[in-house]
Amino acid sequence: MPIDKNILFENYFSDFKNYDEVLKSNMSVNPNWEKLLNNLTQMGNETMISKQNEMDWLMDENGVTYNVYNDPKGMHRSWQLNIVPFLIHEKEWETIDRGMQQRSELLNLTLKDIYGKRELIKNGIIPLEVIYAHRGFLRQCDQIQYKTAKNLLIHSADLARGPDGRMWVVNDRTQAPSGMGYALENRYATSRILPDVFNDIHVKPPTSFFSDFNKMLLDAAPQNKENPNIVILTPGPLNETYFEHAYLSSFLGYPLVAGNDLVVRDGKVWMKSLKELKQVDVILRRVDDVFMDPLELREDSYLGVAGLLDVVREQQVTIVNPIGSGILENSGLIPFMNAVCKYFFKEDLILPQIGSWWCGQKKERDYVLENLTNLVLKRIDKSNRESIVFCEFLKKTELENLKKEIIENPFVFVAQEKIMFSTAPDFVKDKLEPRKVMCRTFSIAKDDGYSVMPGGLVRVAAEREDLFVSNHRGGVSKDFWVVTDKPQTNIQNYSWDNSFKISISGINDLPSNTAENLYWSGRYLGRALVTARYLRTVLNKMSNEQYNKQKEQSESLVCLLKSITHITSTFPGFIGEKGKAALDNPLKEILSILVDSDRAGSFAQTLSSFNNSYYTLRNLWSKDMWRVFDGIQKNWKMFVAEADEKTTIQSMVKILDKIITRLIAFMGLIEESILVEQGLLLYFIGLQTEQSMMSIAKCRSLLVISYNEQPQYEILEALLSSHESLNIYRYSYRSHLSTENVIGLILLGQEYPKSLTYQLKRIQKDIDRLPHPEGLGETTDCQKFITEAHTIIQNLNLESLLELKEGTIIRQNLDDALTVLSDLLHEMSLAISDTYFNHSYQQKQLVNQNFDL
Amino acid sequence: MEFKVSHTTSYDYDSGVTFCHNIATLKPKTMVGQTLLDYDLEISPKPSEITERLDFFGNTITRFSIQQHHKKLKVTAKSIIERNYKLEPNIEDSETGKTITLNEALSILKTNNKEFIDIKQFILESIFIAQISPEVKAYAEKSFKPNRPVFEAAFELMQRIFTEFKFDSEFSTIATPIQEVIKAKKGVCQDFAQIAIACVRSMGLPARYVSGYIETLPPPGKEKLVGTDASHAWFSVYIPKFGWVDFDPTNNQIPKNQHITVSWGRDYYDVPPLKGVVYSTGKNKMNVAVDIRPA
Repeated sequence: MPIDKNILFENYFSDFKNYDEVLKSNMSVNPNWEKLLNNLTQMGNETMISKQNEMDWLMDENGVTYNVYNDPKGMHRSWQLNIVPFLIHEKEWETIDRGMQQRSELLNLTLKDIYGKRELIKNGIIPLEVIYAHRGFLRQCDQIQYKTAKNLLIHSADLARGPDGRMWVVNDRTQAPSGMGYALENRYATSRILPDVFNDIHVKPPTSFFSDFNKMLLDAAPQNKENPNIVILTPGPLNETYFEHAYLSSFLGYPLVAGNDLVVRDGKVWMKSLKELKQVDVILRRVDDVFMDPLELREDSYLGVAGLLDVVREQQVTIVNPIGSGILENSGLIPFMNAVCKYFFKEDLILPQIGSWWCGQKKERDYVLENLTNLVLKRIDKSNRESIVFCEFLKKTELENLKKEIIENPFVFVAQEKIMFSTAPDFVKDKLEPRKVMCRTFSIAKDDGYSVMPGGLVRVAAEREDLFVSNHRGGVSKDFWVVTDKPQTNIQNYSWDNSFKISISGINDLPSNTAENLYWSGRYLGRALVTARYLRTVLNKMSNEQYNKQKEQSESLVCLLKSITHITSTFPGFIGEKGKAALDNPLKEILSILVDSDRAGSFAQTLSSFNNSYYTLRNLWSKDMWRVFDGIQKNWKMFVAEADEKTTIQSMVKILDKIITRLIAFMGLIEESILVEQGLLLYFIGLQTEQSMMSIAKCRSLLVISYNEQPQYEILEALLSSHESLNIYRYSYRSHLSTENVIGLILLGQEYPKSLTYQLKRIQKDIDRLPHPEGLGETTDCQKFITEAHTIIQNLNLESLLELKEGTIIRQNLDDALTVLSDLLHEMSLAISDTYFNHSYQQKQLVNQNFDL
Repeated sequence: MEFKVSHTTSYDYDSGVTFCHNIATLKPKTMVGQTLLDYDLEISPKPSEITERLDFFGNTITRFSIQQHHKKLKVTAKSIIERNYKLEPNIEDSETGKTITLNEALSILKTNNKEFIDIKQFILESIFIAQISPEVKAYAEKSFKPNRPVFEAAFELMQRIFTEFKFDSEFSTIATPIQEVIKAKKGVCQDFAQIAIACVRSMGLPARYVSGYIETLPPPGKEKLVGTDASHAWFSVYIPKFGWVDFDPTNNQIPKNQHITVSWGRDYYDVPPLKGVVYSTGKNKMNVAVDIRPA
């Protein structure tokens, strides 16, 4: 294809310096890319722009995120996928595939040797210090035997194309490699948004790779069980790749757990579930080596499980990858890998590696010291971007200091050559630009070798001339195609045969951490909805009064404003001496209750608590739920950003309208997306409990005092409207609003689902369905409290509730009854925590010592 | 000479502990010049699991867990040890050992000898002795000279630490970095041992941390009080062509029969007598009592 005719390539080469994947130096196109470029050209520039927008939107909507540590804007940063895929032809891929298999096996044997006989060191193939001076060499893991076919079960390598046109190995990832989930989501998104881009191109699907992955996990179980219990261990939602942990959990169908969901007892690992402890056979971990066991490794770690390493030693659990495999993430090994390859296989490495000099050897160190400005310096045990030094940018004194450091502690330094890696076309704004790319490949252990994912994750440098490619800086990714001339079946089918998988385990097996988050999701969601509706009601009332141009605030409005403070517990608010100023300028106070996220009880805080518990559960939610959730976030953020003293009643009502609608949509989706056995029950209990508590608070602040006819009417109207019960009241009573009927409907109504009586009955029913842990007697405390509350409300007498205390305008009996119910619900909530989410015992060190391992 | 050692560690927990996992490194070694005749580890409450194994450095470690709720944990190690330092090779009697210089030692260690693998790891940084500061190195250089015998230099280093550092049990904790200890010049036996190790390693020589006991002798004419002893620590230097030589900088002597070796490692991190993870909400109080007397 002549390049000058292609508008997409306009100025592509204007500052061309590097090897490019597509354009050869004679300006002709790499034939492997022709079809793809044709498809893109067919699409045309306009379409490409809109497709890229659509892609950004989809990634956003699907909640594909990548958190960046130490970056205030970094939480839940959107994952970016460029619409132009990266491709490699099968002919070349075959070599990479073989090269990866060789390298994975080689690292496997090296790992076995390092923690076993150490023949490589004894025979002088690897210098002692490359292993012993590396912080990842965990002496606690020495001589541990594994039942799995391989020691290294997952291996990932970053590859980039060097100046010689071959793919080079830049890094190995062996502890808990990330990226597989992103790769899968990239393929899913590309086929969804850009079906045409696949026209006439056969792309190898990752189906059989993921099937091998699943089989590896099943086979890893030490006891060869039929249905081994497999869990995915995450450091938690703050981790940079939490999206992927949750994604793999739903994709593979194994529960996502945190360190405190697991416990070691009787020489085994157990998962805390609602009913009991359940034995765990395999842990697919996303927690780094040293954090895995606070007893033997980093003692201040809360991400692992105390005593775990001993369970591994006794072969009662398998960790994927085994603890200690971080020793292979070692740039000090690179210069010796070819010798290791010859030692084990009597052959050379298939994939070349980046030129590296380990400073522990005199000749190499001298070379490094002499040529430091042209090199990149790393610590052998730290490969993150922050600890890589690009020596060309150093000042003279910095260079001298670095040299001193190398001489002082030569064993821990490796220098690597500066390489110009190849570029590939990236769609930026409205045209293609050459950008450096790095390919992360994955392999999985099988009985007889390794299975390599066809393709992988391609990451793109953020800037045109960026030296390095890393997700940490929030880069862009690409779908990675291995194209073949043979037609492929089921390109868009990414699930595999599920028939051998365990059927959904009942609510008994729900991890207690998940249960707790579901419960609180319900509570926060209920609180958000009730608060939003109540604020909207009061704002509407204010708006009406302004319309009436009344000079003074009416008695009813003052009552309603004060009730906001009671219901949201945002004292002093409108109450007391301090509340007078707020009453003079009620809008300011309401805005603060809305958007001030530092204020306890504020709507903003409720929303953010809801976000947190929601985010920890993301493996349970459907894509539709993400979309709605995202809508809430975006609308809310926009409102908060613009909120100031000029914000009008109307704009507050408008945002509350938007959020209320979405919260309701969200609640509807929860009920249809999650099964009761998956924990929906806990969500319901939380939701109903919160709504009941809020109803009680509302009634206490609006119904206990008896007002004159006019304000009474307005208050009752507001109460019913905030309760979304005005129409039902009118339908049921067809009469003037009276306190008697209102109490009859929203507190005592037997058949009305929004009444307190009905809600308490429902909570009781749901609590009865919870698993009954052993040793707690006939009935749990949760059952006792809710049964008492339900009995009390059923025996309430309407007339007695309406009675005024002698000489006052206070309905004392009503207030007393509501207080008792409120206390019982509170006790019940505590009892639920104690019975089912028992995390109250904190992990502690016998002797406090915190230090880096 | 036979010794009876009793080492009790107890923890009182304010609000009780639901369960705990622990590792104890309390069993004295059997080696040339020291034989463990009898050993018993008493733990209360009774552990639900207990296993013993050798760690990476060849020390015996005991791992146990207690799964019942308890308010007090008591671990007592009782040993009977026969000690005869005269069976150990004496460096004073070894002309090569006594005279080998720093330069000679370094060049011997450079050779690729399989036997050096386990020894050379003690030259490298370790958890507590990392990023050895120029200050430490300068301190070492006062004693270690290229052509001076290693033994002589190490002996002098021990003497200098003994005279220049003040014993102060208030100053440091197990987590006090050596950089602070060298600045303040005070600490306890474990700090002195680790400073010495840092010095020796800064010269490129292997040094290890030795954990054990020392018998304290009562003032003449008085009876020894129970509980006046404590666990102790010192350091050991590898002198090529001879072997490991122990030095006790706290007492300014080369250990003899009063020193009983329990374990060794790169530094304190590798061999804490007792460590663990407990599940509890309250605070705890620790108490240690060691008693050594001739059996």
